[in-house]
Amino acid sequence: MSFFRFLLFLFVFGIVGFANAQNLGKVRGQVFDVNNSQPLIGANVYWEGNTASGVVTDLDGNFELVNPTFPAKLIISYVGYEKSIRIINAKDAEKPLRFFLKPEELSLEEIIIQERRPDEQIKNLEMGKASVPIETIKNIPALFGEVDLFRSLQLLPGVQTAGEGTTGLFVRGGSADQNLVQLDGAPVYNASHFFGIFSVFNPDALKSVDLYKGNMPSSFGGRASALIDVGLLEGNNEQIKGNGGIGSISSRLTLEGPLFGKNSTFIVSGRRTYADLFLKLSSDENLRNNKLNFHDLSGKVSFLLGDRDKISVSSYEGTDFLGLDDQFGLGWTNWVSSVNWNRVNSENSFFDLQGYHSRYSYKVEINDPDNGFEWTNRLNETGIKAIWTRVLDTKTTVNWGIHSQYYHFSPVDLSPDPGSGIQSIATNPKNGWLNNLFIGVAHEISPKLSTEAGLRWGIYNQVGKGVEYFYPNDQPERDKQIDSVAFSTLEPMEFYQGLEPRLAFRYLINEQFSIKAAYNRNFQYVQIATNSSAGLPIDRWVLADRYTQPIRSDQVSLGLFKNFDKNRWEFSVEGYYKDLRNVIDLRNGAQVLFTDQVETEILSGKGWAYGVETLLRKNTGKTTGWLAYTWSRAWRKIEGVSENQAYNPRFDRPHDVTLVLNHEFTPSWSAGLTFVYTTGQAVSFPVGSYVVDNQNVPLYSNFRNQDRFPDYHRMDASVTWRNADKGRKWRGSWNFSIYNLYGRKNPFAYEFREIYNDDFRFEPSDGEIISARPGIVMTYLFTILPSITYNFQF
Amino acid sequence: MKRIWLWILPILFSACQEEVFLPLGQKDELVPTIEGIWTDNGIYNEVKISLSKDYYDSLDVEIIDNAEVVITIPGTEKVIPFRYINGTRSYRPINPLEKAVVGETYKLNVKWGENIYISEGVMLEAPTVDSVTWKFEEERLFREEGYYIKVYGKVPFKEDNNYRIRVIENDTLKNQRDDYLLFDDTFGLQFFEQGLELGYAFEENDRVRLELFRLNRDAYDYLNQLVNLLFSDGGLFSPPPQNPETNIRVVQGDSEVLGYFMVSPVLARTVVIQAKYD
Repeated sequence: MSFFRFLLFLFVFGIVGFANAQNLGKVRGQVFDVNNSQPLIGANVYWEGNTASGVVTDLDGNFELVNPTFPAKLIISYVGYEKSIRIINAKDAEKPLRFFLKPEELSLEEIIIQERRPDEQIKNLEMGKASVPIETIKNIPALFGEVDLFRSLQLLPGVQTAGEGTTGLFVRGGSADQNLVQLDGAPVYNASHFFGIFSVFNPDALKSVDLYKGNMPSSFGGRASALIDVGLLEGNNEQIKGNGGIGSISSRLTLEGPLFGKNSTFIVSGRRTYADLFLKLSSDENLRNNKLNFHDLSGKVSFLLGDRDKISVSSYEGTDFLGLDDQFGLGWTNWVSSVNWNRVNSENSFFDLQGYHSRYSYKVEINDPDNGFEWTNRLNETGIKAIWTRVLDTKTTVNWGIHSQYYHFSPVDLSPDPGSGIQSIATNPKNGWLNNLFIGVAHEISPKLSTEAGLRWGIYNQVGKGVEYFYPNDQPERDKQIDSVAFSTLEPMEFYQGLEPRLAFRYLINEQFSIKAAYNRNFQYVQIATNSSAGLPIDRWVLADRYTQPIRSDQVSLGLFKNFDKNRWEFSVEGYYKDLRNVIDLRNGAQVLFTDQVETEILSGKGWAYGVETLLRKNTGKTTGWLAYTWSRAWRKIEGVSENQAYNPRFDRPHDVTLVLNHEFTPSWSAGLTFVYTTGQAVSFPVGSYVVDNQNVPLYSNFRNQDRFPDYHRMDASVTWRNADKGRKWRGSWNFSIYNLYGRKNPFAYEFREIYNDDFRFEPSDGEIISARPGIVMTYLFTILPSITYNFQF
Repeated sequence: MKRIWLWILPILFSACQEEVFLPLGQKDELVPTIEGIWTDNGIYNEVKISLSKDYYDSLDVEIIDNAEVVITIPGTEKVIPFRYINGTRSYRPINPLEKAVVGETYKLNVKWGENIYISEGVMLEAPTVDSVTWKFEEERLFREEGYYIKVYGKVPFKEDNNYRIRVIENDTLKNQRDDYLLFDDTFGLQFFEQGLELGYAFEENDRVRLELFRLNRDAYDYLNQLVNLLFSDGGLFSPPPQNPETNIRVVQGDSEVLGYFMVSPVLARTVVIQAKYD
C-alpha cells in the first residue's frame, strides 16, 4: 500500500469512524421477554436520574438513547416485568445491547396460590395429603447444600425419619417399605443414594410432589402406609432454557425446550457427585484408591397430538457405586420408565393410559484369588394402568379403571470367579401378578357436605416360575423342609384377593372452617425382609406367598381445617388410628440374603399406630413457612419378638416439632431456617453384661426397645443471594447453608463395648492392653456443617 | 454385609465419636450363664457357670461353684459327674478320661439351687485336615502384610456342616470380635479343599495352634448371633440387639439362663511360622 493510499484509508475510515462515533453517541439495544425471547414493545428505557430523556422500545423491542457520561446506570422497566438495571461503560455502548426482562417475580406464596386455591385445604376432600411446592423445597436449608425431596418431606407432621442424615420416611407408624414412591407413575424400589443420605430425585427435574399419608384415592394402592407421588417437569415449548447448580458434593444441569416445534417438548436433567475426587486428595493411600459416587439422569419428552391427546415418555436412571481399592465393589441402579397418554374425550370425559417399567438391581464384587465372586440381584415391576374419568354434572365426578402389575424378582445370583473356592448360589425367582379394579366417586351432597367414595379390588397371584417349600404343620423352620414343588412359568402358586374401600367426607362449617373424616384400607403384596431401621441397597424384597401374607392396613382419620386472615394462614388438626396386619420381622440371627427359603427367617404379626398432627402454615407475605407438632405412637406385636409383647419400633417418636421459615428481605436476599425437635429413637440398651466364650457380652432385656436415645434437635439456616437482575439471560444465585447450626451432637449410634487402656480409640491390635472396662461409645455424624452452592439459569 | 456400614461411615463423613455415660437399667436378678463344652479331647471338657453383672461393673463376674453338674447319655444309665475345680474356676469331669464319642447324644444337666437346666448335643464326626501351610502376603484390602495360614482339608458330610476354627497365637487365644472364624456350607465347602485362609497376619517364628470344631447347628447359631451382637453398633443399620438364643432350657425354676452347650470333635494342629514356606 502506498503512503497516499494509506492516508486515504485513514481518512475514509477515520471519517466513517468519527461519523459512527457520533452515531454511537447513542446507546442502542433491544428488550426481550426472558422466557420466550419475544421482543417487548413499549418498555421504558432511561438513564438513572434522567427519566425525562427516556425512550420506549419500538415494535421490535429496539431502543436508542443518547449517551450520558459513562459509566451510567441504564434502567429498563416494563409493566408486569422486573426492572432491570445495568451499569453501562463506554465500551459497552459501542455495541448493541440485549436485555432480557423477567416476568415480575412471583413471591413464593403467589406460586402456591397458582398451584392450589387459597382455600384448598378447607374445600377439598383430601385428608393426610401434603403438597410441597418444589420451590419451597428448594428454599429449605439442606444438608451439604443438596436440596433433598425426602428430607423436606420429613419436616411435615406425621412423617418420621429413621435417624440423623437419612432420607427414609416413616409415615404414621408405617415402615419405609410401606411407602409407594413413584416417579411419573412408575415405582422406585430404592429411592436413595449414598446408603440413604440423599434421595434419588434431582429437584431441578421435578414438577411436583404429593404425599398421601394413607388416605389415597382408589386409583392408587399397593402400599400400606403412604404414597409419594413425584412428577417430572415437562420442557417448555418456547425456547431452549437451562438451569443447574454447582454444589459442595455434586453438580447438576437441566436443559429443556421445544423438540419438533411447539407441540413437542423435551427436558433432560443430570446430576453427578464428585466425592471420589475429594478422596483422591486424601493423604491416606487406602482412601485415595476408593471410589464413591452417584449420578442420576432423567428425561421426558411430551407430544401434543391435536387438541385432545398428549403423550409423554419419561425415564430415570440413577446409579451409586462404592469401590474399595479395586478389591471390593458395590453398585446399585434404579431405572424407571413410563409412557403416559392423556386424552380428552369431551369436555366432561377423560381417559388416561399409563405403561411403566421399573428395574432395581445391585451388584457386589469381591476380587480375591481365593474367594472372589460376583453377586447380583434384580427386581422388576411392569405395569399398565387405565383410568376413565367422567364428570357427570357439577356435583359428581366418577373415575374407574384397571391397574395390572407384574412383579419379577430375579434369583439371587452369586457367581464365583474362576479359581475361587466359593460355590455358586442360585435361588429361584419370585413372580407375582396383581390386577386391581377400582372405582371412585366424588359427589357434592349439599353445598356444605361432600363425599368421596372408592373401592379397589386387588386380585393377586403368586405365579411361576418358582419353587414352593413345605414344612411340618405348615410352619416354616430352617432345615425342616419336608417337600418342595416346582411351578412352571405363570403357573398359579398362591392366590390372595382383597377389597380396599376408601371413604371420605367433608363438612363445610363456613368458608374458612371444615371438618373431614376418612377411612382407608390398603393391601400390600411386597415388603422388605429386614429388621434394621434403615434400608440397605442389598435388602431382600419378598412377595406375598404361601407363608407371607399381604400386609393389610386400615386407617381412620378425623380432621379440623381452619383458615385465617383471608386464607393467609392455614391451621389443621388431624387425628388418626392405623391398624396393620401381617407385618414382618426377622428372627434372631436371620440370614435372608442367600436363602431360597426366606420364609424360615421371617416372623409375622400386627401393628398399630395413632397420633394427632397439628399444622400452622403461612403461605403469603415476605415470611412463609410452617410450624408443626405431632404426637404419635407406633406399636408392633410379633410372635417371637419381645416375649410376644407389644413394642415400639425404633421410629416411634412421640413428640415431633418442626419449624420451617423462609423470609425474603429483598429481591436479592432471602433466608431460610428450620428447627427440628423429636423424642429420641426407641432402642434397647444393655441391662447388664456377662461372660461367655471369653467375651464380656452386653446383656439385653428380653423386651425390645424399652430405652430411648436422647431427644433429637437441630437447627439449620441458609442465606440465598441472587444477583441483581441486569437483564441478562444468565442468572445466578449463591446459597450458603449451615446444617446443625448450634452443633448439637445428636447420637447416630451407641456402641457398648470394652474400653481398653481408658482410651475408646485404642484397639487391641494397637499394642499392649493394660486395662479393660465396659464403656459406651457414641457416634454422631454432622455438627455445624456449612456448604455453598451456586445455582444458575439461562 | 451389614458391617459394611462400619467402614463406609468414616469414608463418607469422618464420623465423630466420643465416650459417654448413659444411665442404664438393671436386671431384677442376676442371670446365670452356663457354658458347657464337651468334646473328644479331655482338656477342653468343662462347664463354666457364672452370674451376669451390672453393665458398668468392671470386676470379674461371680462364679457359681456350688452347682451339681452331670452329663448323661439319654436312653442309657450312663452318668458323667463333674466337680468344681478352683484352679480353672469351672466344672470338670471327675473322671478326666471321659470324653465324647461320635454318634452319641449327650445331655448336660445343671442343678443350681432350685433351678435345673438341661441341654443336648450330638457328637459329630470330625472332618479331615490334610495340611496347614503359610505364605507371606503383601497388604490387601482388610488384610495387613504378613504370613497367612491356609488349612487344607476335606468335608465329606452333606449336613451338619457348621464349623469353628479357634486360633491360639503364641499361647494367646485370639478372641476379639474380629477373630471369630465360623463357616458353614452356605457357599459350599470347596474353599476348604482349596485351602481356607485364616484372616490373621502372623510373623515369623509365631507359634500358632489351630483348633477346628464341628458344631451342632444350635451351638453354631449361638456363636453366630454372639458375633453379630459384638459387632452391633446400635445404629440404624444394625438389627435390634438381642441376646443370642441359648440352647439351654430351664426345666425347673423361673430364672432365665444365658450361654450355650457345645458338643464337638476337635482337630488341633500346631505350626511355627518359618520363612521356608515363603
